[in-house]
Amino acid sequence: METAIRVRDLRKTFRVPERDAGLAASVRSLVRRRYREVHAVAGVSVDVAPGEVVGFLGPNGAGKTTTLKMLSGLLVPTSGEVSVLGHEPSRREKAYLGRMTLVMGNRNQLQWDIPALDSFELNRAVYRIPEADFRRTRDELVELLEIGDLVRKPVRTLSLGERMKAEVAAALLHRPQVLFLDEPTIGLDIGAQKRLRGFVAEYNRRHGAAVLLTSHYMADVQALCPRVVVIDHGQVLFDGGLRELTARFSPHQTITVQLATPGADLSGYGTVVPADEGRVAVQVPKAQTSAVAARLLADHAVTDLTIEDPPIEDVIEQAFADRSAVAS
Amino acid sequence: MQALRLVGTYLRIGVQAELQYRSNVLFSVVQSLVAVGTSLAVLALVFSHTDDLGGWSGSELLVVMGVYVLLGGVLRSVVQPSMTQLMDDVQHGTLDFVLTKPADAMLLVSIRRIELWQAVDVLVGAGIVGYALTRLDTRPGALAVAGFAVALALGVVVLWAFWLLLTTAAFWVVRTDSLVELLSGMYQAGRWPVTIYPGWLRIGFTFLVPLAFAITVPAQALTGRLSGWLLLGAAAFTVALVAVTRWVWTLGVRAYSGASA
Repeated sequence: METAIRVRDLRKTFRVPERDAGLAASVRSLVRRRYREVHAVAGVSVDVAPGEVVGFLGPNGAGKTTTLKMLSGLLVPTSGEVSVLGHEPSRREKAYLGRMTLVMGNRNQLQWDIPALDSFELNRAVYRIPEADFRRTRDELVELLEIGDLVRKPVRTLSLGERMKAEVAAALLHRPQVLFLDEPTIGLDIGAQKRLRGFVAEYNRRHGAAVLLTSHYMADVQALCPRVVVIDHGQVLFDGGLRELTARFSPHQTITVQLATPGADLSGYGTVVPADEGRVAVQVPKAQTSAVAARLLADHAVTDLTIEDPPIEDVIEQAFADRSAVAS
Repeated sequence: MQALRLVGTYLRIGVQAELQYRSNVLFSVVQSLVAVGTSLAVLALVFSHTDDLGGWSGSELLVVMGVYVLLGGVLRSVVQPSMTQLMDDVQHGTLDFVLTKPADAMLLVSIRRIELWQAVDVLVGAGIVGYALTRLDTRPGALAVAGFAVALALGVVVLWAFWLLLTTAAFWVVRTDSLVELLSGMYQAGRWPVTIYPGWLRIGFTFLVPLAFAITVPAQALTGRLSGWLLLGAAAFTVALVAVTRWVWTLGVRAYSGASA
C-alpha cells in the first residue's frame, strides 16, 4: 500500500540570536550577534498510511508543530526527506496544497466580521471547488457538525466551541486527503471536545483521509488514535499502539478491591496507593497481576475487584521522564 | 482568468461584510469632507498670493488634488486594510493559512480586507477632478482622457505594489506598527504635483516613493502635460516595481518561519 505521509530522518535546525541579560550585553549584541543552534526536529522518521489516524504526542517544544509545519510546506527542512501524497511539501505546489488541510486550534482563519458561510464561499474560490461538489460537501459538513444555524451568524458572535466547528468545516470543504490537526480541541469544554472528536472519527471513516493529530488532551488521543508517535527533543521516543505504549512505559497495573471487612493491611501484596473511600488499591508489576489478584481473592472476602492500567497521562509522563528506557 | 474570479469573489464578500456597518458611511463622509475642506482652504490661501505654483494654475492644482483624494480612497479602502491584515497575520502566525492555500499567496494577501466606506473618497476625488475640468482653460481631448485612465490604472498598481513592498518588510522586522503612519505621511506629500518640489526631493518621490507616477502623471494627462514617452516610462516603471515587489515577496515568504518557530 502506498503511504500518505513518508518522513525519513527529518531535521530542522534554527539559528537563534542569543545574548546575556543587561544593557551592556544588549549593546554588544548589536555589534556582534551570537547565535545558538536549536535542533527543533532532530531525525524524525515516520510513515502514515492512507486513512490512518495517528496521534502526535510530546511536551511543548518537543518539535511537533515544527514537524507539522514541514509537512504542510510552511517550513523547509534543514535535511531529510518528506513526501506527502507523493509531493514534496516545501515546494508548495498547488496540486499538493489542494489535497491537504491544516487546522490550528489556537488560530483562526475564518473572517471575523462575516458569517462562516461567506468564508466558505471564499474557500470555494481559492480551492476552485465545482459548485455542485461544494454544496454537497458543505451541507454534509454542516449536518455532521450540527452548525446549521451558526454558519449564518457573524463569526465574532460564536462561542469558541462553535467557532472551532465552523473552522473545521471551512478547512474540509475541499475534501483533503491529509489532515494536519494541531491542537484542534484546545480550550474547548468537554462536550465540545467530544463532539469534535466524534466528527473527526466520522470524517475519517467516510472519506478515508489520513489524519495527523496533536493534542494535549489524552481523551482525544484515546478516542481517535489507534497509533501514537511520541516525540521529545525532536526525536521519536515511541511509535506504535496506545496499548503497547502503556506496556512499554508502565510496567505496573493497579488492583483495587473492596473488602467485606475493611481495614486489612494489603501492603504484603504490592505498593499500597491512594484509592476511593472504602477501597484499597495496590500497585503490582504487570507480570504478577493475575497471581496477586488470585491470592487476594483467596485470602480475603472481596466484594469487588478491578484491574487497571495507569492513566495514559501518567504513562506519557513516565515516557518523558525515562528516556533511557527507550534507548535500550 | 481564475485570478480575476478569485479577486471578484473576495471583493464581493468584502463588500457584504462592510454593508453590516452602515453607520460608518456617515463617519467616512464627514471625515472626507473635513479633509477635502482643509485642502481646499490651503489651496485657496496659496492662490490668494500667487496665480502660479511651479507652472501649475489653481484649477490645474485642483485636478492634482482630485486625483490625490481619489487614489487616497482606493488606498484606504482596499490596499491599506489588506496590508494591515498582512502585518497582523505575520505577527500572529495566521499567515500560515494563506501560505497553505492553493492560490497565489501574494494575490490573496492583497485582497483580503476592504473598508468600503473609505471609498467615499473615490467619489469625492472624481467629483473634484470633474469640477476642476470645467474651470480649465483648455478642455482635455479624448486622447488625454484615455491617457488619464491608463495613468490612473497604473497609479493604482504602483500604490498597491509599493505598499506591499514596504509591508513585506514586516516579514523581517516582525512588527512595524509605524509603517502605516510613515506611508500615509509620505502619501500626503502627493497632494502637490511632484514637479514643484526641488530637484533632489522630486527624484526621491519619483523613485523611492513612486508618488509622481501614481498621482502627478494622471493629473498631467488632463492638463496637457503628458507625452507618450512619459506614459510609456510610467508603464515601464510600474512593471519594474511589480517585479521587484514580487521578488521581495518571494524572499519574505522564504524567510518566514511562523511566529511560534
